[in-house]
Amino acid sequence: MSKRGAEELRTYEEINQKIKSGDAIVMTADDFIKTVEDSGLKRAAKEVDVVTTGTFGAMCSSGAFINFGHSEPPIKMFKCWLNDVPAYKGLAAVDCYLGATAMSETKGFDYGGGHVIEDLVSGKEIELRAEAYGTDCYPRRSIETTVTIDDLNQAMLLNPRNAYERYNAATNGTDRIIHTYMGTLLPHYGNVTYSGSGQLSPLYKDRGFEIIGIGTRIFLGGGIGCVIGEGTQHSPQNQFGTIMVRGDLKQMNNRYLRGATYYKYGTTLYVGIGIPIPIINEKVAASAALKDEEIFTDILDYGVPSRSRPSVKRASYSELRSGRVEINGREITSSSLSSNKVAKEIATNLKGWIEEGAFFLNRPAELVPDHGEFKPLELRRKEPRVRDIMTRELVVGKPTDDIKSVARILIAKGVDHLPIADGEGKLMGIITSWDLAKAVAQDKRQLHEIMTMKVVTAKEDEAIDTVVRRMEQHNISGVPVVDHSNRILGMLTVNDISKKLIRRP
Amino acid sequence: MKLKLNYSRENIGKPILSDIILRTGIPINILEAKIEPNTGEMLIDVPTEGERLKEFSSLLQRAGVTVKEITRTIEIDRGKCITCGACVSPCPVKALAQDENWDIIFYEEKCIGCGICVYTCPVNAIRML
Ligand code: SF4
Ligand code: SF4
Repeated sequence: MSKRGAEELRTYEEINQKIKSGDAIVMTADDFIKTVEDSGLKRAAKEVDVVTTGTFGAMCSSGAFINFGHSEPPIKMFKCWLNDVPAYKGLAAVDCYLGATAMSETKGFDYGGGHVIEDLVSGKEIELRAEAYGTDCYPRRSIETTVTIDDLNQAMLLNPRNAYERYNAATNGTDRIIHTYMGTLLPHYGNVTYSGSGQLSPLYKDRGFEIIGIGTRIFLGGGIGCVIGEGTQHSPQNQFGTIMVRGDLKQMNNRYLRGATYYKYGTTLYVGIGIPIPIINEKVAASAALKDEEIFTDILDYGVPSRSRPSVKRASYSELRSGRVEINGREITSSSLSSNKVAKEIATNLKGWIEEGAFFLNRPAELVPDHGEFKPLELRRKEPRVRDIMTRELVVGKPTDDIKSVARILIAKGVDHLPIADGEGKLMGIITSWDLAKAVAQDKRQLHEIMTMKVVTAKEDEAIDTVVRRMEQHNISGVPVVDHSNRILGMLTVNDISKKLIRRP
Repeated sequence: MKLKLNYSRENIGKPILSDIILRTGIPINILEAKIEPNTGEMLIDVPTEGERLKEFSSLLQRAGVTVKEITRTIEIDRGKCITCGACVSPCPVKALAQDENWDIIFYEEKCIGCGICVYTCPVNAIRML
């Protein structure tokens, strides 16, 4: 097998020579797929010099390095805000890093770092505010002014993780609507959302990482940028490769760089990226010819608030992009979060640039690794689990218990929740003190007449935060803790949580 | 015309709607129904207008059902829209779709004004009218 990156069909110099003379054959990945179908891979690989790709999606690991220049008298900014969005100031006096997901301290979810970047690129005026402690060399203690992108010395987009090769698709198996970074997910597998441009995806078109590496020139946000190396969480062995990129914001254009908000999730930045794939060998050609039908991803249940979400189905991008996915025999509507239209536009623009001789290809200084580690974070300190703080001394009711006498017991013991169990201790329902008060007023007799049978529960080994979120979602203040056969082990209430956790140092 | 019906506890178990359908001969479409022990809420599409619609509503009102005409709908700012598709699959009544160029199609007659697409749009391109 030849070495990764072997230039067997053509060299970068040969390609650039053809670009210069206007003879290079350049195609978008969509068109290359058709050419391969018509004339076969070997012939297509011989004929076509460059295949262009594109993607335009929400990429949270994005941001910009900005240098403001020195004021008179100068300041060593300790904290700074752009349109009330805080930027990272652990750098030299007037350098900062503005992250896409940082949120405005006044507007919250509606405006964040991604929006500031879009506004800068659009030439808008941005409020700059900074604070300092004052030093002998930097006496100034505060700044309040406005800046535009033209005032800045550098405004450099530098994104630690972009352009995922492909991404998981999402659905929701719970009984309520959820709001995630994969968009709005309707209950009971009501819809499917996905991200990534499938057969146009820049990294999927170089699956073996034969051509993408340090220095690879790319389309970035409407300008020309480059790959710095692999991105964080780069995991190509699982087809989750990523890249780190940089580019000059002053060259970019707000059609390909847009601030965005995911409802109840946060702010982000839509980034447009296109990578030219030089067809240097047949392996590269085969990868560039992969079709939506051959690119698969898992549809995960985002209703499960855990890092290991179960896969509901493996689907191809062609199924996802068709707008309908079959899950458990039902047809579910699917739609993307990244723009298929703009992805295509980027691939077409990049092709145009190369054909006009405005963009040349380059051999990377070093290829991106074709293997990466993606480990979870194991928590070393012991965190309390449900079993550590739940109440075990329980008052449990029977369905046939008399409402009035139960009400008396609950008041005497000061409990708000009464789980109801059958003869074997298995959970049947729950009653709150409020239900009881209502029932007494309505002259109901036995617990089974008023108990809620659809009970929200917790398991012993769950994390407290997971259960707290569940209680918030259902607007309840306590849950019975049950084992795998639904036997009641205890109760966990908001009271238990605040009592136990407040004592933490 | 879409109507939102609110049932009170007294009339929740009665076949009010089916009676009226039989009497008027108007075939309605139930778009959404939420029945709770004490109240009921229903969104229906009545495929008629003018006098016939008025008759339909007043029969419901006489039976004790609160009737509200739903005229709310949405508007998409095409200049802002990035054709991502995030609003499409969450629409509970498939009033939003994408054409072969991935541009958004809005079927106004299907829209029930639920507002899901409005908050889902990541670039704030949809507003409620
Ligand atoms: S308001 Fe609701 S029904 Fe109307 S288009 Fe938006 S999501 Fe669909
Ligand atoms: S969610 Fe907004 S931006 Fe995306 S397609 Fe719908 S209207 Fe356009």
